[in-house]
Amino acid sequence: MNDFVSTYGFLFVSMILGAMLGLSLYLPLMAGQLSLASPGFYALGGYVAAILSTKVFQVKEPFPIALLLLEMLIAGIICGLLGVIVGVPALRLRGIYLAIATIAFVEILRVLALNLDITGGAVGIFGIPQPFQSPIEYLWIVLPLLLISMAFVYRLEKIRVGRAFIAIREDELAADSMGINPTYYKALAFTLGAILAGVVGAISAHFLNTWNARQGTFDASIIYLTFVLIGGSRTFLGPVLGGMVFTALPEILRAIADTPGLPVWLAQFLRDGRLIIFGLLIVIGTRFFPQGLVTPQLLKRRSRSQANR
Amino acid sequence: MNLTVFLQNVLNGLSIGSIYAIFALGYTLVFSILGIINFAHGAVFTLGAYFTYMLMGNAFGFNGLLANLALPIRLPFALALFFGSIAAGLVSVLIERLAFRPLRRKKADSLLTVVSSLGVAVVIVNLIQYLVGAEIYTFPPDTYGTLPPAINFGTEANPIPIRSVQVVIFVVSGVIVSLLTYLINATKYGKAMRAVAEDPTTASLLGIDPDRFIVLTFFVSGFLGGLAGTLVGSSVSIAGPYFGIGFGLKGLAVIVLGGLGSIPGAVVGGLTIGLVEAFVPGDYSAYKDAVAFGILFIMLLVRPQGLLGRSLVQKV
Repeated sequence: MNDFVSTYGFLFVSMILGAMLGLSLYLPLMAGQLSLASPGFYALGGYVAAILSTKVFQVKEPFPIALLLLEMLIAGIICGLLGVIVGVPALRLRGIYLAIATIAFVEILRVLALNLDITGGAVGIFGIPQPFQSPIEYLWIVLPLLLISMAFVYRLEKIRVGRAFIAIREDELAADSMGINPTYYKALAFTLGAILAGVVGAISAHFLNTWNARQGTFDASIIYLTFVLIGGSRTFLGPVLGGMVFTALPEILRAIADTPGLPVWLAQFLRDGRLIIFGLLIVIGTRFFPQGLVTPQLLKRRSRSQANR
Repeated sequence: MNLTVFLQNVLNGLSIGSIYAIFALGYTLVFSILGIINFAHGAVFTLGAYFTYMLMGNAFGFNGLLANLALPIRLPFALALFFGSIAAGLVSVLIERLAFRPLRRKKADSLLTVVSSLGVAVVIVNLIQYLVGAEIYTFPPDTYGTLPPAINFGTEANPIPIRSVQVVIFVVSGVIVSLLTYLINATKYGKAMRAVAEDPTTASLLGIDPDRFIVLTFFVSGFLGGLAGTLVGSSVSIAGPYFGIGFGLKGLAVIVLGGLGSIPGAVVGGLTIGLVEAFVPGDYSAYKDAVAFGILFIMLLVRPQGLLGRSLVQKV
C-alpha cells in the first residue's frame, strides 16, 4: 500500500489538478465562450504563490498551510480582477475571435514572464517551499477544493445564473431579447474560470516546487481544451473526468507498454509517442463524439435505468 | 537613427513581413472558403522546411526513428523549395480529408473543426519529433549557391548592406503574391473558388463541385505554408518541431490585423507587423513577440473586422 501511494501519489494529485483546470475552461464554455485563457491565469496564479512564498514570506519548511490558503486567496483575487479587466472588452467578441484574443493574452503573459526579473526570466523560480512531507498529502488541499468547485458548478447549473449562461450559449441574441444581459453573464463566467485557474496555479507552484514560463503556453491551452471537449462540454462531469483521464494518460500508456509480449516498436511508440496519440484522440473524438464522452443524455439514461430497477 | 539604419530596418521589416504575408495567405484562403481557422497550418509550415531540408540531401541527426537518414538525391535550392512546398501542399490536402471533410459532412459546429485542426497540429509536431528528434537543423552555408552573403544597396562611400537571403525572400514572396492574385482574380479556377467561398450551395447548383475547390484551396494554402517555412528555415534555422507553432500564432495576428478572409489584408497585415517588429529597439528585442500579440489584442477590441475586412453582421 505504501509503495502504491508513493508511486502514484503525485499522479493522483495531478489528476485532480487536471480536473479543476478542465472546470476552469468549462465555466466560460457554459456561456458559450471558447476561451483559451486558462493557462495564462494558471501561470499567473502560480507566479503569485511562487513570488510570495520565496520572496515575501520568510518562513522555514514545512510551509504553513494557512499561508498556502492565503496565497490561493490572493492568486484568486488577482486573477479575478485581471479576468474582469480582460474579459469585459474581450467578450464583445464571439467564437473564433474570442479564442484568438485569449491566445494573444496567454502569449503576452508568457513573453512578460520570460523577460521580467521578478518572475526569474527564462529560468523561472526554484525551491518553492513545501507545506507537506510527500506529494500525496496535497490531497488534503486539492480534494476538498475539487469537491467544492464541483458542488459549486453543479449548483450553478440549476440556478438563474447558470440558466442564463446556458441561454446565452444556445442563442445569445434571443437571450438578450429575453432580458438577460449577455455581457454581464459572459464576463461572470469568464472571471469564475479565471479565479479557479489562478487558485489551481497557486497550489501547483508549491506542488511542482518550481515554476517557469513553460507553465502557460499555447500547448497547455490545447491540452486543457481536450479535457473539456473529449470529456464532455455539456455537463460539469465531462471536464472533471476528462481532466483526470487525460492527465493519467501518459501513465496508462506506460503501463500498457510494459505488458510483456508487445512488439518492441509498439511498446516504444506507446512510451515516446504519447503526444501523437493525444492528438489522434482529439481528431477522433471531435469526429465521433462531438459532445464528448460524458453527455447529459448518457447521465439521464443511467439514472432512468436505475430508477426502473 | 541615421538613414542607413532606417533603410536597413525598412528592408528587414519588408523581408520578414513578406514571409508573414505568404504564410498568412494560407490561413486566409482556407478561412475565406470555410470560415474556419486551420490551426494545423503552423505545423505544415514546419513540415515544408523539413521537406526542403531533406530534398537538398542534408542528413538528420542521431535522434528519432529516422536517425542519420539522408536522401540519395541532392536537389538545388530552387527545385527543393518547389517540391518541398508541393509536398507540404499534399499534406494539407490530407489534413482536409481527415480532419475537415468528415466534420463538414456532419455539419458540425465550426469550433469543433477548429479543435480537430489543433489535434492534427499536435500529431504532426510530435510525429516530427518522434521521427527526426527535436534538434535544431541549419541549412548548409552553400544553400543559395554562389550568391554573395550580402548585397550593397547604397553607394561605395555610404553602404547599405542587406543579406542576400532577405533579397531572395522578398523576390520569391513578390512572385508568389502576384501569381496568387492572378490565379484568384483572372482565372476560371479563381472565379470558382470565389464562388464557393461566397456560397457553396449556390456554387454547386451552378455546376461547381465545392469539395474539389476546397481541396484545391487546401493545396494552395499548404504550398504557401511550406514555402514560408522553408524561407524562414533556410534564412535562420529550423528550430525544432515546434518552430511553426509560434509562427502560426503570429500568423493569427497578421490575418486579424488585415481582416479575416481578406487576401490583400493578409499582405498588408504581414508587411505591417514585419515593419513594426523591425523597428523594435534592440534593448527590447526580447519583447518583440509580444508586440504582434499586443497589436492583435488591441485590433480585436477596436476593429475586429481588421483593416481591410468586411464588417461583421450579427444574424438571428
